[in-house]
Amino acid sequence: MNTEFGGWAGYVLRVDLTNNIIKKESTNKYHNYIGGMGIGYKVLWDNHKDGIKATDEGNRLIISAGPLSGSGAICSARTTITSRSPVIRQHLITDGHFGGHFSPELKYAGYDAIIIEGKSPTPVWLKIIDDEVTLEPADTIWGKGMFDTFAAVAKMMGQQAQVAAIGPAGENLVSQSTIQTQGGHSAGGHGAVLGSKQLKAIGVIGSGVVNVVANNEQLRKLDDHILGIIGANNQGVVPHQPQTWAEYSSSISRWRGGPGVKWGAADNPVDVGETPWNDRQKVGMRTSMAEMYFGREEANKIFKRPSGCHSCPIRCFCEVKNPKMKTEYKLPTDNISNTCMGFLDPWYVMGLPGNSEKRTDIQTVGAYHMDNYGVWSAYGQLSHIMREFITRDFWKELLPAQEFAAINWQQQKDLDAHFMEDFYTRLAFGLQYNGSNILGRFLGKGVHEFINEEGELYNIQDVLNGVETPRMAKLSFNLESDAAYGLLGKTYSVFLDKGVKVFNRSMVGGTHHASETAGQVGALLNTVFNRDPQCHSHINLVNCGLPYGKISEVADKMWGAGAFDPVKHYKPMNIAKAKFAKWCLVKNVLHDSLTLCNWMFPLIVSPDAKKDYQGDSSIESQMFSLVTGIQTSEQELDDKAEGILQLHRALSVLQMQEMDQRNQHDVLTEWVYDLDPDKVFGDEGTIKMGREDMQLGLDLFYAEMGWDRETGTPTRATLEKFKLGYVADKLESLGLLPA
Amino acid sequence: MITRRALLSNGAKVAVGTVYCGSLVSFLTGCNSDDDNIKIEVLPGGLMVVDPVLCVGCRRCEIACSWSHGKSAVSPNTARIKVVKNLNFGPHGVQDNYHQQRGEEGDGTIVPETCRQCNVCMAACPQQAISIDEATGARVVDEELCIGCGYCAENCPQQVITIDKLTEKALKCDLCQGKPNCAEVCPTGAIKFYTWEEAVAEVEHHEKYLKLI
Repeated sequence: MNTEFGGWAGYVLRVDLTNNIIKKESTNKYHNYIGGMGIGYKVLWDNHKDGIKATDEGNRLIISAGPLSGSGAICSARTTITSRSPVIRQHLITDGHFGGHFSPELKYAGYDAIIIEGKSPTPVWLKIIDDEVTLEPADTIWGKGMFDTFAAVAKMMGQQAQVAAIGPAGENLVSQSTIQTQGGHSAGGHGAVLGSKQLKAIGVIGSGVVNVVANNEQLRKLDDHILGIIGANNQGVVPHQPQTWAEYSSSISRWRGGPGVKWGAADNPVDVGETPWNDRQKVGMRTSMAEMYFGREEANKIFKRPSGCHSCPIRCFCEVKNPKMKTEYKLPTDNISNTCMGFLDPWYVMGLPGNSEKRTDIQTVGAYHMDNYGVWSAYGQLSHIMREFITRDFWKELLPAQEFAAINWQQQKDLDAHFMEDFYTRLAFGLQYNGSNILGRFLGKGVHEFINEEGELYNIQDVLNGVETPRMAKLSFNLESDAAYGLLGKTYSVFLDKGVKVFNRSMVGGTHHASETAGQVGALLNTVFNRDPQCHSHINLVNCGLPYGKISEVADKMWGAGAFDPVKHYKPMNIAKAKFAKWCLVKNVLHDSLTLCNWMFPLIVSPDAKKDYQGDSSIESQMFSLVTGIQTSEQELDDKAEGILQLHRALSVLQMQEMDQRNQHDVLTEWVYDLDPDKVFGDEGTIKMGREDMQLGLDLFYAEMGWDRETGTPTRATLEKFKLGYVADKLESLGLLPA
Repeated sequence: MITRRALLSNGAKVAVGTVYCGSLVSFLTGCNSDDDNIKIEVLPGGLMVVDPVLCVGCRRCEIACSWSHGKSAVSPNTARIKVVKNLNFGPHGVQDNYHQQRGEEGDGTIVPETCRQCNVCMAACPQQAISIDEATGARVVDEELCIGCGYCAENCPQQVITIDKLTEKALKCDLCQGKPNCAEVCPTGAIKFYTWEEAVAEVEHHEKYLKLI
């Protein structure tokens, strides 16, 4: 146990699967990198190998907690998973995250992180009970679905074990696969990495503690302070519908709990009723957001209660009971727990039907199969392609006739949720699926494998067969709506098609809170990471539900005049927006390192009218100081986080062997600029971006980040400012540091 | 032997024998009474009960319990309320039909266990280290006397007593001097402090969730 500081458990586990060697090392050397993602990036930098694939034996995977996990600090139970990702071009570094109760348990067992190295000769699972850490044979669980795996490991270890595992998708080296814990808590993109290492699961039981330096009075005082500021999910600070206590309401807010909302499937149904912001014993009811996914009528029938992660009072998960899962779809359960993409991906696949019993079936049955197999969608990219290619009738051209005929397309057209089972089975089993399964192998592999520099598709079977120079797929734009864009009859490209929502050319992941909510700020956030940015720092302000004037007042105060434009009425790029974008990323990295929920924090607005709805951006540093005992200001902690962000950028440069990030990485797809052909950038009613304006955006953003204007790579001065001189030395020795 | 010495209601003693027969107290505390006709005196105070319908599994009660006892060190192991044990698979552990049982991996229902302030631990303690706090009715551990033998934990009907690995002292709910931290931080009001009179319906409700389904 760490006795010098609170927070950190004190040790990192290094598990060498090739040689079955497990070592403990001190966490102390990672303190400057905070924890979580910071440890992940540092380990991958220190152990960098050129040109390896995510599924190569030489790739490492780090599962890490931060100093706040397990301390009881509000919303502090995230777990970060860092590794090269097979879903990304060149298999660049990404970080995925899940919530649940895994990282607190890891801390109670005495560890801040697990570094997974090498490859086991046979399937194994990792058993951690405090100091007893062993690799166990996984013969009996290899091949099992996610839920049975959790149960089997818990049965072997003890029911209180927290388990992280891969499903069949990860085992079958499907790139679009997850590592999951406790049902619907999924981290995307690295299931196949564990699969390649033949590591099926990690079970943890910890009987220790996380030391916290502050006393109960101090901790309760901060708790009370936070509860006076925190809102609903995504920091919605006003209710979704009018309530008697609230000055404002907003349809954008995720504060769904209110009159008319029921936990109708609970054994004793609960009428949520009014949820006043200062009623501390209704904080856990205010989000109640099943109706966001199912509509009020359906949600009131099937919603049992909200759930979520250790230490979080907000509860963004929805526990749902749909009896038809058992009676009609023959699943072993009629309960499913999830939030957001777990429910939405199946819905995207089936063409976005309106709220209805059919939609409910699609989302509950689809979520079950997706989670049980451990399939990941790259924030919807996979399902957007599936749907769009159906709309465009591409599958008939892409699949062998026999396979096309074997797929029950009528079920998809009829919005019949029976379609979900075969669809996700194809994805998860790849080559193991009986039949050619070009569809599942294509969608499961990650679209970057199948497109040229212009986003045009190669012949899918050539790529799957490893043909060195694959033919092109010869697809053309064929919808009437393509005519308005001048695309009708032209070669099809995913970069030109707004329907598949690939936002960034190098990421080829789905767009995630980009130009549709925060103009250039969101767009810039979608340039930096190698997958969708998973950043909610801006959303937790922009979608808080307060009137535009209030939000812009906060934004102006934080980053300068003009930082935030009304949605769909964007003005040209300015320095305030660049500062806003940088702040978002720094806070995001801070949260993923602490590890704190970026779906809730930062809290810069509040539901308290007496505070004029102001929040407090320094809560993270207050938590860090109380827990660790290291008095740290907001700026000092942000500086540490910025150092991690700089290290991430440098690692992308190193892995790509490419200094010119500006032209090789930070490039948006064409539809982002060409959307709404009857409008120009800046018109009211469009989210389209301006090509020149985005280049100015990169100039200003790079200046804020201390990155070279021409290349977008950190300069030596910037790296040294964050104690990353060794990073500058390495990049310079390889000719990858700007002059 | 179960004894409750005084129940104060409207400032007057209640005729305990008529309202609180032995079997009822046995039911409330979760421990066996060997004589239903025993004369029972009831103390002031009451017990903590969690409503599994409202519990959302955040474990803030466990956290607050850790915070409020001694040096700040957070763990379900130092908490006197137990959520995590039943969190994923319910009170009966991993069953073959776990999908049909309680817990996050079952029907989503979380069934925390709380101390019901019975006398079993007090009776089991060879050191007489557990006694009744006159003000709250809580059975409290005297750390000076406790030797960490674990008899109290082994015998606890709710399995909510643990022995602190570091201090080797029993950790047991003391009702936070009448202002339980766990109840104060519960974000759904799922955990409440009930007087013995009020607790009857709540305990009955909770008992339903302790059964295999």
